[in-house]
Amino acid sequence: MALPRTKLLHGREVGTLAGLLALCAALWVATPHFATVSNLVNVVEQSAIIGIVAVGMTFVILTGGIDLSVGSIVALSGVALGTAHEAGLPIAAAAAVGLTVGLACGLGNGALITLGRLPPFIATLGMMSVARGIALMLSDGRPISGYPASFRALATGHVLGIPFPVILMLAIYAVAHFLLTRTLLGRYTYAIGGNEEASALSGINVRAYKAAAYAIAGLLSAVTSMLLVARLNSAQPIAGIMYELDAIAAVVIGGTSLLGGSGTVIGTLIGALIMGVLRNGLNLLGVSSYLQQVAIGSVIIVAVLVDMMLRRRARRAAE
Amino acid sequence: MTLRRRPVRIAAVLVGACLGIAACNRGDGGAPTVALVLKTLNNPFFVEMEQGAREAADSLGIELVVQAPEREIDVEKQMQIVENLLQRRVDALLITPSGSREIVPAVVKANEAAIPVVVVDTRVDAPALEEAGARISSFIGSDNVDGGRMAGRFVAERLGGQGRVAVLEGIPGHETGDSRLTGFREVLAEHPGLEIVSSQTANWERDQAFNVTQNVLQSHPDLDAIFAANDVMALGAVEAVAAAGRTGEIVIVGFDAQDDARIAIREERMDATIAQNPREMGRLAVISADRLLRGETVPAEQPVRIELVTGQQTGAVEAPAREE
Repeated sequence: MALPRTKLLHGREVGTLAGLLALCAALWVATPHFATVSNLVNVVEQSAIIGIVAVGMTFVILTGGIDLSVGSIVALSGVALGTAHEAGLPIAAAAAVGLTVGLACGLGNGALITLGRLPPFIATLGMMSVARGIALMLSDGRPISGYPASFRALATGHVLGIPFPVILMLAIYAVAHFLLTRTLLGRYTYAIGGNEEASALSGINVRAYKAAAYAIAGLLSAVTSMLLVARLNSAQPIAGIMYELDAIAAVVIGGTSLLGGSGTVIGTLIGALIMGVLRNGLNLLGVSSYLQQVAIGSVIIVAVLVDMMLRRRARRAAE
Repeated sequence: MTLRRRPVRIAAVLVGACLGIAACNRGDGGAPTVALVLKTLNNPFFVEMEQGAREAADSLGIELVVQAPEREIDVEKQMQIVENLLQRRVDALLITPSGSREIVPAVVKANEAAIPVVVVDTRVDAPALEEAGARISSFIGSDNVDGGRMAGRFVAERLGGQGRVAVLEGIPGHETGDSRLTGFREVLAEHPGLEIVSSQTANWERDQAFNVTQNVLQSHPDLDAIFAANDVMALGAVEAVAAAGRTGEIVIVGFDAQDDARIAIREERMDATIAQNPREMGRLAVISADRLLRGETVPAEQPVRIELVTGQQTGAVEAPAREE
């Protein structure tokens, strides 16, 4: 059972970070448009969407679970916000509605998994369809557009030249890192993922902490949806499709084990940035969109392959 | 220590991959660069548009960059692509918007970077554009409302003004689909004997259209005609009707005149489609960009020819549709 790390960068993250830096270096050589301040800010800003969803996914995967519903929750929270705003609620109240809906979906997942004893894959697969369906019903399938500038500032605003989505993402990662490394919630999250039975026997309220992970994932999906609505000035019932896979990819590239119990959010941040930089770079280079999918898939496979190979070798060396 | 070696290994793989890709993408000359951002590349309509654009770009000495999100409905990914292309400082931007309103923030960013924007195929929502204070240089596309009317008139004529009709809608909120349906419904409303018994979305997709049509045939076995807002969905309907053993009994009309649809019409599995001319759209878009970059003006609206394709005409229409 891996214990939470207190160091900011552990060996595994150093490796992933080196991968990110190498990718940046290669793009810097390949195109003059990559290593400009405005483009780097642009990349981090674009990575914020998947980056924030991936934080919640990290909590869930650390407990040994999976959450397939995050993309649908992004859509439903946004539509809930849009519907509330259209009905005449002030934007702050509408945003609160959206966030509450996201949190409720996450708690629903948690309840199905802990009280209903459903496998996470099944529970969240169901939620994925239910949330998407409700989003389509609420909105009648149509995007809900038009939000006040004060709300749109969430995506368009800057503080000292740094776009607000970047600040929000970094703040969320800082809080998540603190939770995972310095609090009981974090300690128990790792413990449950490492060995659920042993955790229960040692008196940890496994149900509560597992449900908490899904609640966090739901809430952060809702936060992402606020960013997305502000960015496009539109709440879309078809938003967030496949976000679950992008988020899982970011978590896995970041070195978190799908078996649970080991990994960090710092790794996930680097994983999300690798995906963002790769997409950005391939756009800058004008690579065909078919080839882009091949490249992104290959990076996921290579990252995990290398990681597993080295882990096996480390284990052999330790024996 | 094994941990020391890992970064080196990943680095080597990534550097190799990037340099490889970069090597395949040389061509930074003095030629102006024009970007064409499509809704998707897994629809032959947009592939043809790309071909038309490439031909024009080659003859004008323009470097053309074509990018598209993996999925047609991904408005956020399209926004990212536009942002990335602006970073690359392309000289002009040609866009087929995935969302009529959602594209507006991207147009605003292009305006801020002083890069001219030509919108192709799908209109940008005019009030949203105005509200954001954004500008586009030109719109190139079909008159979709008129195309919908053509389809409506064809169905009315074939059914003799009497019958039950099902509609397969595109993704709600897409200007192209909405306009086609508006025109179609307008004509049907003029015929009291024609009733729309079902109007559901199949999200522009063939497999969804197959399922929706099967379901509609269950609830309305007496169906007389189906109008699909694009050929991809019409072809799904063709298969569902065939599976029900009712080919030839139900009039099926699509939109776009893709090759597959022309073949289905020739084989009498489908009845009609509306020919757009995506190749011409792509060509006009690049020519417009070229003129804008030379400081010339282009018309704010550039309509592209549209026509009905039926069994008698499939061969005849194919030739002019390919004119350069």
